[in-house]
Amino acid sequence: MIEARGLTKRYGDVVAVDDVSFQIGKGEVVGFLGPNGAGKTTTMRMLTGFVPPTDGTAVIAGHDIFTDPIAARRAIGYLPETPPLYPEMTVESYVAYVAKINDVARGKRKPAVARALERCGLADVRRRVIGTLSKGYRQRVGLAQAIVHVPPVLILDEPTVGLDPIQVREIRQLISDLASPEQGESQHTVVLSTHILPEVEAICRRVILVNEGRKVIDKPLSELTAGGMTLDEVFVREIMKEAPAEQAAS
Amino acid sequence: MRHIADVAGRELRGLFVSPVAYGILSLFSVLAGIFFIVTLSAFSEWVLRLQQMQAIEALAQANLNDGMIAMFYQSMGVVLLFLIPGITMSLFASEKTNGTQELLLTSPLTIWDIVLGKFLAGAIFTTLLVAIVAAYPAVLWIYGNPGPELGKTISGLLGLLLVSWTYVSIGAFASSLTRSQVLAFLLTFVILLMMMFMPAIADLGVAGTSEARDFFRYLSADVHLDQLVRGLVDTKDLAYFAVMIGTFLVFTKTAVESVRWR
Ligand SMILES: Nc1ncnc2c1ncn2[C@@H]1O[C@H](COP(=O)(O)OP(=O)(O)O)[C@@H](O)[C@H]1O
Ligand SMILES: [Mg+2]
Repeated sequence: MIEARGLTKRYGDVVAVDDVSFQIGKGEVVGFLGPNGAGKTTTMRMLTGFVPPTDGTAVIAGHDIFTDPIAARRAIGYLPETPPLYPEMTVESYVAYVAKINDVARGKRKPAVARALERCGLADVRRRVIGTLSKGYRQRVGLAQAIVHVPPVLILDEPTVGLDPIQVREIRQLISDLASPEQGESQHTVVLSTHILPEVEAICRRVILVNEGRKVIDKPLSELTAGGMTLDEVFVREIMKEAPAEQAAS
Repeated sequence: MRHIADVAGRELRGLFVSPVAYGILSLFSVLAGIFFIVTLSAFSEWVLRLQQMQAIEALAQANLNDGMIAMFYQSMGVVLLFLIPGITMSLFASEKTNGTQELLLTSPLTIWDIVLGKFLAGAIFTTLLVAIVAAYPAVLWIYGNPGPELGKTISGLLGLLLVSWTYVSIGAFASSLTRSQVLAFLLTFVILLMMMFMPAIADLGVAGTSEARDFFRYLSADVHLDQLVRGLVDTKDLAYFAVMIGTFLVFTKTAVESVRWR
């Protein structure tokens, strides 16, 4: 469903993402894990077509991001780090607008919007103006916007950052639900970035760990913790591996 | 290109829930009323004076179009210059501060969908402004005896329309360069003022050769508006507006696209 081939992004001398490759199959739920500044956002921005890779490419649902960008973008539902909302719009009209620009056919728009609002627990606030909503609800609107056109691929960049513990639980539950198919609906392939370990344990079945722009681990969660180590210990060990080498260099 | 109307529709609805749009509409209507009354009373005073002086020949030549409507249109052109930056400043800058730029650029929209949609929204709004202007000569046409000349009146309105769309394309470009609406407003305003003073700069002799002077004059929107207000519909003037709008839309497209180069 998602294939990254040697994705690389340089900003001047800074190498934000360094030759990252992976393959994610249909229906997988993958945690994209790494400390702040590891290159998670940059990788997701390359997959979603917001920034072009300096090197490498990606194929989304069979569409190359360079040669077939519009179809690739249509196949993705994307929740950026900050939910991209128009504060003056109502929840419903906003989600309907996103459905429109994602080529949801006119006749299917109304039910698609209603279903997205329903799944994200927004049915009661659909007439509210987005600017008046709490942070947790805005995050839900961000999710509703990402799923409204039923994309095969969902890319979520730190979907629980800045929420209170109750909201975090609700959003995690929501994402878990999205990852499992509803009646008559195909399953989303989900990539979710985070630096919060319990989040990965709660939602994902596979972990891709990145550090300083490079992929360091790509394994099923069960395999990672099979040796009796917690994910926390694995994470710290892998991140620390790099640190001494760096000190020696400088 | 299929989504231009979607983008324009959202933009217009956004504009009309903000107080800015209503503020500008009311201010514009009030100013139009004031300039209409001022130019109209100046014209009737002048006619009265001519009658007292029994200047038969001058009286025969005095008409509403040249004596009043031309001045009214030109004043409204200046008002547009002050107000349009307030409409266009948010077009692209607010997408950056909302983070919705990332939504648009990762959706199946093309850059032209976005740029033309935004331009269309701005152009529809200024068409509304020009419609307000049109109401005044319409009043003269209904009640005036003799009323204004239809051809000149309409070609002048066409001029204002083209001027306003040109200003929108320049404002859209400025807004695409920055995330600050204040900066977008100021930049648009400075560019429009510079355009307005082009003929003055040309006449100061800065321009040297007469070709250069003609070129500077050609850049000014006012010069072309003038021709249309006088009822002279020339392809040279119409081409000016088409070229300006096209150029600034291409600039805007390049600026929006450039997010991807960084
Ligand atoms: N637009 C940019 N210009 C310059 N450097 C950038 C830009 N975006 C990200 N970076 C750098 O790239 C690295 C990875 O950033 P990011 O992908 O945001 O990490 P993460 O999302 O994992 O926290 C950081 O060192 C960051 O400073
Ligand atoms: Mg990030």
